[in-house]
Amino acid sequence: MTERDDNLCSHCLLPIGLRAMQRTVNGEDCSFCCYGCCIAFQVKHGRSEEWEAAWLLIRLGVGAFLTMNIMLISLLLYAGTFSADAWLIPWIHLLLWIFATPALVILGEPYLRESWVQILQGRVTSSALVVLGVSAAYAYSVFATIEQSEQVYFDTATMVLMLFTIGSYIEAAGRAKAARDLEPLLAAESECATVVEGGTETPRPVRELAAGVLVRVRPGERVPVDGVVVEGESHTDEAVITGESRQIGKCSGSPVIAGSINLDGPLLIKSSGAGSATRWAKICRSVREALSRRSVIQRVADRVVGVSVPFVVLLGVLTVVYWSHSMQFDRAMLIGLAVLVVACPCAVGLAAPLATSLGIGRLARCGCLVRDPHTLEVLARARLLAFDKTGTLTSGRPRLVGIESEGVATNEVLARCAGLERHSEHGLARAITLAASARGLKPVVTCDVRATPGRGITGNADGQPIAAGNSALMRELGWQLAPSLIELARSMEASGHTVIYLGWEGRVRALLALDDTPLAEARSMIAGLQSLGLHVALLSGDLAPAARRTAAAVGIEDLQAALSPEAKRAALDRFRQGYGVVAMVGDGLNDAPVLADADVGIAVGSATDLARETASLVLPTGGLWMLPWIITVARRVRSTILTNLAWAFGYNLIALTLAALGLLQPVLAAAIMASSSLLLVVNSLRLSRLPDPIPGAILEPPPSAEPDSVRRGLGVPVMAGPAIERG
Amino acid sequence: MTYYLVIFAAGFAGSFHCIGMCGGFACALGRDPGGAAATAGRHLLYNAGRLTTYCFLGAVAGALGEMLCTSRGLAVPVLTGPLDGAQQILAIVGGLLMIAMALQFFGLLQRFQAVTIGFGGSTLAVSLRNLLTSESRAAPVAFGVFNGFLPCPLVYAFAVQAASTAGAVPGFLVMLSFGLGTFPAMLMMGGVGRMLAPVWRQRGVWLAGSFILLLGLITLGRGVLPLSAHLHALPQGSPG
Repeated sequence: MTERDDNLCSHCLLPIGLRAMQRTVNGEDCSFCCYGCCIAFQVKHGRSEEWEAAWLLIRLGVGAFLTMNIMLISLLLYAGTFSADAWLIPWIHLLLWIFATPALVILGEPYLRESWVQILQGRVTSSALVVLGVSAAYAYSVFATIEQSEQVYFDTATMVLMLFTIGSYIEAAGRAKAARDLEPLLAAESECATVVEGGTETPRPVRELAAGVLVRVRPGERVPVDGVVVEGESHTDEAVITGESRQIGKCSGSPVIAGSINLDGPLLIKSSGAGSATRWAKICRSVREALSRRSVIQRVADRVVGVSVPFVVLLGVLTVVYWSHSMQFDRAMLIGLAVLVVACPCAVGLAAPLATSLGIGRLARCGCLVRDPHTLEVLARARLLAFDKTGTLTSGRPRLVGIESEGVATNEVLARCAGLERHSEHGLARAITLAASARGLKPVVTCDVRATPGRGITGNADGQPIAAGNSALMRELGWQLAPSLIELARSMEASGHTVIYLGWEGRVRALLALDDTPLAEARSMIAGLQSLGLHVALLSGDLAPAARRTAAAVGIEDLQAALSPEAKRAALDRFRQGYGVVAMVGDGLNDAPVLADADVGIAVGSATDLARETASLVLPTGGLWMLPWIITVARRVRSTILTNLAWAFGYNLIALTLAALGLLQPVLAAAIMASSSLLLVVNSLRLSRLPDPIPGAILEPPPSAEPDSVRRGLGVPVMAGPAIERG
Repeated sequence: MTYYLVIFAAGFAGSFHCIGMCGGFACALGRDPGGAAATAGRHLLYNAGRLTTYCFLGAVAGALGEMLCTSRGLAVPVLTGPLDGAQQILAIVGGLLMIAMALQFFGLLQRFQAVTIGFGGSTLAVSLRNLLTSESRAAPVAFGVFNGFLPCPLVYAFAVQAASTAGAVPGFLVMLSFGLGTFPAMLMMGGVGRMLAPVWRQRGVWLAGSFILLLGLITLGRGVLPLSAHLHALPQGSPG
């Protein structure tokens, strides 16, 4: 996939940035972010018939052979083994020169090439520091050999290169290990699916699949397309779409979602849409886009690195000049070399991208999409989370919460009303019929049903006219309301409930109150956020009583109601003055501008496409309960980046001071640099061990094993709603 | 000199262990189509690569040992008075490690073996196969170099021995003797390895284990004996 080759390293999946290396491995064009990844990828994936991979290893092996021999001979020289035979020493120096030259060419070539390319583009990078230092040591040693002076530093020159190569290899291997979890998230469309055509099975790329194709999915494989099971029985795990990791039974006729993992049995699936149109494919595209963007911290770090290199060169030169007053030039040069080597800011460039990639991947595996690495950093700093009400904290679907009647049993009211309303497609009607069926009531048979738009619905049951609708309908029909019900109706409407008047035989006999109820998980989620030290506010466009009821039900104290979208933005601005960084959670129907305006806009799964565009974090449908976990992940990512940066800069500064004072041998300095990057990788790797979100820990009533629609629907008995008190 | 001869002998005995593990590689290196001389050259290059790695490891281990001994913070060793305490501690630790590794050769301490062998060796071993089939003349050297780094209790044991000498040059010499000891068997690989019955190979491994055990005990003794002798000489109530 070309997009991938342009943006992300083939080995460690980090953004490539400016210093791409292009190679052909196994006949495919690959790009690498650094030389280490280039080696590590070829060691891991290079096939023996591929000349390139073997050649790279041969070069490294021969380079190591020469370097180790140089080191051993130099060691014998330092130990004074040849002090008795002084005439030998120039010849040994010559031998070292002969060994060192090919070693330098073999090991230094990638660094030289990289610095050359960068210099042509007007940039100086850390590899230029290595090249400069090593070539200085080599050039001096060549002169020393010709001049027959006492000391040569071929060992330092080659050993520094060797250690840098090994260090970058180990670092790249560690990064790839860290990024292993990301791989399936980037592979959605380039993966192959087993297509069954005319009895034969052929592998085809997922992006070429159209609707109506039969696909075989073996146990352990990922379902490549949305579709319906035609044959086979199994369980699937849909965590990547829904955020919740649990086994869902599938048999012939069950729908399956692309991206879910087939757990036990083979399945034959008939696709219902194109392979590139699934939510799974969209998630993967979004993750790829997010990974290839650079965060603010990273941009600053890169700039610091870019600016620091010339300074380091200057510092190295100054060090040499300073020390050459008080000691021999070759000693002073060695100290300068140590300065150049130890100041290589390799680790700083690694501090942020690995941590953000791991964080984004971690969230994406639970179905939460981050559009930008920056989002995580900002979210970690957020101190206020504002919620929209309808469709975010509430289900967005009305639900029957109360029945008031004049001497009629509630069940009869409900059965009559359901008999009438089941002929309607209206959202309120659906709430009534569902409530009736939840109670196991049989709707009263009703005929001659007529719907009056904006009023309600009328019909005939048992030969009697029956009507359900608003007060206007009842006025039109001329049906009277009992005095006790008048007062109740007024108070229900004042508190923001939707009221259905039900009447038969010329009188209004019952009132049905409907409300948009808070999600079951909302309260514990809010409590979770508050325990993380966040201030939670409710910004609702709804009437104040309804907003207040929802706020009380979920545990929010700070609420503002009856806000227009503009007023919401103004409220958010006021919050920003008090709290600095604010995040907004909404479904985006009427709050898309607010989501765009917040520092972090969070859209919940059912959100409209517009909201997805303006939100920088998108949660899966019913994924609101994961919010505290997401905040925790974001904070962990940020703290990892900060510790990485502190470590990288601190380490470099301390080592630089030691080197400039002449307390650090160049070879030791190179070893220290390699271990420094490795420490950053290990520190960032801790992110991949973050625990999964546990629904049970956040949801007070543990989640039932039923689908979302049931869990969130009308399972709660009528009259148990929180809102209406009788009389 | 006798010391290095003992190590050479230990290496020779240990090479029966090599036949089991690295011999397969040497076999796979195979014959060169250029004739017997070219084949011999190929195997010499491979073994030279291996030997270089061993020597390098020995020198580094020796240098590390030296660093530990000379950079000790205590100006006056508390426990041992004028004797070099750090070197003794190094000898004790090294001796114990060698004994532990020797026991592996007798099939004991299996869990320890898993730790020593499973340490990142698999990726390296996999990538090495690329080199075996390469036509390049330099490939055997590269292969030998990497092979030397493959996790192997035998190499560890002698690297520990090298460290306990507390000097880069003696450390280098220890590993050189050991490496030269493994030369004959590895060079003859095709012939000897096939000829020897598994029983004899097992006996060779036991022999190598005995050598390492002996060396470990000697190293341990070097550390413990003067120390304990000194402790006995100390007045009662010395820390311990």
